[in-house]
Amino acid sequence: MRHTRDVHTLAGPYAMDAISPPDRARFDRHLARCEDCAREIASLREATARLAAAAAVSPPPALKARVMAAAAATRQRPPGPEPEPALGTWPLRTWPLRTRPLRTQPFRTRPLRTRQGRPTPSRRLVMAASAVAAAAAVAAAVVFGVSSGGMRDQLSQAQARSQQVAAVLTARDATMMTGAVRGGGTVTIVMSHSMRELVFTAAALHALPASRGYELWLIGPAGDRAVIMLPPARHGMTGPVVASGLRPGDHLALTAEPASGAAHPAGRPTTPMMLDVVL
Amino acid sequence: MTAIDRSDPDRARPSAAEPGAAADLTTYLRLVARGDADAFDTVYDQVAATVFGIVRRVVRDPAQSEEVTQDVLLEVWRNAAKFDPGRGSATAWVMTLAHRRAVDRVRSVQKESERERRTAVADVPFDEVAEAVESSLERERVRRCLGSLTELQRESVTLAYYGGYTYSQVASLLGVPGGTIKTRMRDALIRLRDCLGVAS
Repeated sequence: MRHTRDVHTLAGPYAMDAISPPDRARFDRHLARCEDCAREIASLREATARLAAAAAVSPPPALKARVMAAAAATRQRPPGPEPEPALGTWPLRTWPLRTRPLRTQPFRTRPLRTRQGRPTPSRRLVMAASAVAAAAAVAAAVVFGVSSGGMRDQLSQAQARSQQVAAVLTARDATMMTGAVRGGGTVTIVMSHSMRELVFTAAALHALPASRGYELWLIGPAGDRAVIMLPPARHGMTGPVVASGLRPGDHLALTAEPASGAAHPAGRPTTPMMLDVVL
Repeated sequence: MTAIDRSDPDRARPSAAEPGAAADLTTYLRLVARGDADAFDTVYDQVAATVFGIVRRVVRDPAQSEEVTQDVLLEVWRNAAKFDPGRGSATAWVMTLAHRRAVDRVRSVQKESERERRTAVADVPFDEVAEAVESSLERERVRRCLGSLTELQRESVTLAYYGGYTYSQVASLLGVPGGTIKTRMRDALIRLRDCLGVAS
């Protein structure tokens, strides 16, 4: 089979990461079907690990303290395959959203209508055409990893989160928005005005070093609230995370911050706003 | 915290290059997966120099190399439970992680600094390997095995692995068709693997 043979010639480049992302994805699919190939890659990687060993250089001693401190503050992942793969990729295809079709719309700055206002056309959030920053409507609140304080185990967290996500996605007034992020990546938001919650996911955000992370903010008349530090991307996808407690006039902002989080986005005027979504 | 037997000092802190290190690293990674910070301390001591070394070789900028090294080690901490000894050694798992992160970093900034990197790497492929290494058996062995490759194989591996280039970039750097480079890379790694006596 010519196709297979073609793909397999990528074994060498693949084992050395000398491969473009599309080729890597092709080869990953190939590996999943080919035991022998997976064994070959494993053996080639034993060889490349030796190339690495030959380059060993002691890092600055201070690095160790930083790594150990960062590890102490970093939650570990459970064994086994990634949980909730359906949520790791954007779940629109798997959730029963069909009861009310989602509308994908550009974002626009419009105040969020709450009880006093009928959320008809104003519910459509429109992205500010300033191509650098996507604008979408939103506000966010506390998300699980933060609010639960590590008291619940990972599984029940994931379950609770997926229920919360599902509730927003299946809300009758769920509205979907997508937009580009300055610096790279796209954001998709599904918001329920009646629930005052939204589900936030991002794809292909520019990778940050472990010392930094993306933080989600609610900025509005009700004050600036840190929503959550986004979890690291998995397979290029970030989230989903849920933001609740949306208030009229809120903006949703995404900034790059130190991994420990920042108290206030405005306190870091040099931090570029990656995304500013207006309700 | 899980305790481990450290009564034998030779077992407790072998260097990553020594035989037996892989098995030990596997043991420690299992402990790390359970949140054992002491075991992570040991893992750090075992792999930090190799991780930092390969990251610095690829990334070149010292400050960025430290950042990437920290990323890699944190990922080891975070994902230790996902390491599967059935799919390769612990050392290979960590180094694969390290090299990929280094390459990702380089490619994310490659556009602006393409020219400098190209010059820098093209100037120093093989000799640098020979020179930068201290006199250790492992380095000598790797150097000798690299030396046993054909020139095209060696350049392909050096530019790809240490230089962080894709095979098509290597092909254009060396003025050789991409298909040829792909094949040479695989052949070269197979020869290296056999020369180094890597158990597969």
